Amino acid sequence: MPIVIKNLTFTYSAKTPYEKKALDNINLQINEGDFLGIIGHTGSGKSTFIQHINGLIKPQEGEIEIFDLKLTPAKRPKVDLRALRSGVGMVFQYPEYQLFADTVEKDVAFGPKNLGLGADEVAQRVKHAIEMVGLDYEAVKDRAPFELSGGQKRRVAIAGIIAMQPKMLILDEPTAGLDPFGKEQILNLIKYLKTHCSPTIVVISHDIDEITRFANRIVVFNDSHIVYDEPMQQLFKHSEQLQEMGLDIPRAVKVVNALRDKGIDLGDEIVTAEDLLKAIITRYNAVHSTNIDENAGVFDMYDFSQKWLTSEEREALGLISTPQGKTQDDNKARKSNKIFGSKSEKKNRSSKKDAASKSKNKEGEE
Amino acid sequence: MAVLLDNVTYSYNINDTHRIDAVKGLSLHIEEGTFVALVGHNGSGKSTLAKLLNGLLLPTSGEVKIFGNSTLEPNKIYEIRKNVGMVFQNPDNQMIASIVEDDVAFGPENLGVEREEIIRRVEWALSKVGMLEYRKRTPFKMSGGQKQRLAIAGVLAIKPRILVLDESTAMLDPQGRSEVLKVAHELNKQDGITVIHITHFMEEALGADRLIVMNGGRVAFDGTPREVFKNYEELKAIKLAVPWETQVAISLQKAGVDVGDGIVDQDELVERLCRLL
Repeated sequence: MPIVIKNLTFTYSAKTPYEKKALDNINLQINEGDFLGIIGHTGSGKSTFIQHINGLIKPQEGEIEIFDLKLTPAKRPKVDLRALRSGVGMVFQYPEYQLFADTVEKDVAFGPKNLGLGADEVAQRVKHAIEMVGLDYEAVKDRAPFELSGGQKRRVAIAGIIAMQPKMLILDEPTAGLDPFGKEQILNLIKYLKTHCSPTIVVISHDIDEITRFANRIVVFNDSHIVYDEPMQQLFKHSEQLQEMGLDIPRAVKVVNALRDKGIDLGDEIVTAEDLLKAIITRYNAVHSTNIDENAGVFDMYDFSQKWLTSEEREALGLISTPQGKTQDDNKARKSNKIFGSKSEKKNRSSKKDAASKSKNKEGEE
Repeated sequence: MAVLLDNVTYSYNINDTHRIDAVKGLSLHIEEGTFVALVGHNGSGKSTLAKLLNGLLLPTSGEVKIFGNSTLEPNKIYEIRKNVGMVFQNPDNQMIASIVEDDVAFGPENLGVEREEIIRRVEWALSKVGMLEYRKRTPFKMSGGQKQRLAIAGVLAIKPRILVLDESTAMLDPQGRSEVLKVAHELNKQDGITVIHITHFMEEALGADRLIVMNGGRVAFDGTPREVFKNYEELKAIKLAVPWETQVAISLQKAGVDVGDGIVDQDELVERLCRLL
């Protein structure tokens, strides 16, 4: 069932000198199965908007229809907020700051417990959620969240939301502050959750190159209004207008535009790195009469098949492991090194030595 | 020599029996006036290195010298901290006063600087980061980029010769990031301040004179950004990346489209493509 937002308007500090309209007559329909990206610069209203969807902010004007519930400014009938919030999982910016319990297991259990579920059900969901975010349940469940790395903490925080098994997941700046590898892990996790957990996903991000990697539709907020709502491939017809609003456009679009200025037209609807590679190869083939497979350009920041990645790292990157299929022994064997990285740390050290010596060799050659 | 690290090791106790070397036998020197970008994945030791520079952490072995003064000498530590200003990741954690100019004055006040001189320094520091018109306002309603520039002004008022930005752009939107980066480059060019910029954004390293890559508590690569980005396979192996345009060029190269190597930014990529297409 789609989520329908009608004529939503919201003003902060109304009737004071600090009055600010954050949302002005917003109309939007979010369909089941949407992978929706929301962009807009700081203060454009996008955060205020998503807080309405799971009932953190009550509408002042307008209404929201969501899973048989109707959110309106009226005081009655009372909305079943528990049903709403178990249906819409919200992952805030830097969610790891909200970890509070003394073990990972307790932290992840907080949500489902508060939904009033039985102990067995809670325990089962917690295990499932922790495994789903790519962590080893047995190895992390009794650890304090604060002992984990930044990327791992963030995944624990996301597990806490997933454990409520929301039909829809909203993530606000999910990769902010992570290193490139941690970013890649979270992006893969989000894609994985789309198919295995929450069929509808909304992501807010400042990084447009990140959004274009998975969104099928992009909504642009500017100055309390929705100014564009387009399929991802169509949005960047408005590159100029987006840039005037102070928004970034994908790097591939920038390259295409720069080439067009120099008289080389690669075509429309080039948004991602893969699109760009394909268009360049096609054009190259035409100009040089070559016959390169137009899908030969592979843009992978981290190639899973490369041998320099340890098996743990490959697994972590892909997040494609199916923990259910593993034997206890497998888990035990990996337990010692997967989380604390003792083994992989050593491997890293040696690979880094290799890297360092390679660089020295290169210097020598030069 | 602005910064000299001689065989520095720093170990954390993680429990009674285990220690982790966050920085291992690191030797490094940085000339005054250099703009250094420092990258490494989480846990590579770069933030530990930053904290060793102004004596927030002291080496377990080896020595850190700032303009010849060792952080191990207790009577030099104030001078070292005056010379090494640090700005951290979260803009909200670094504001202490409710008015911008009070916030900037906090540092020099604590050093016992004369009132007239404090006023001069506050004005100078705020104008350096382009925030002079906000001097009577409150920092709490500002954007992340403005708050970080204010944090830089607070550090400048102490008149440091070295500015360390410890992931100061990580929490900002693209506009805020470019504001902070611009200020850092201006301070480096116009005032000769040595800048050590720690970041996860590879493209932010492009403008630097020198790029140092940390891994496992040691230096994995050290050179101009252009030189370092040639080692893209090795960089990925230590959980880092190369700029997007470099990655595109590499992917094309692998597919058989000869764009040549050494591409690090959009202009270079577009120029090479123009010749080919």
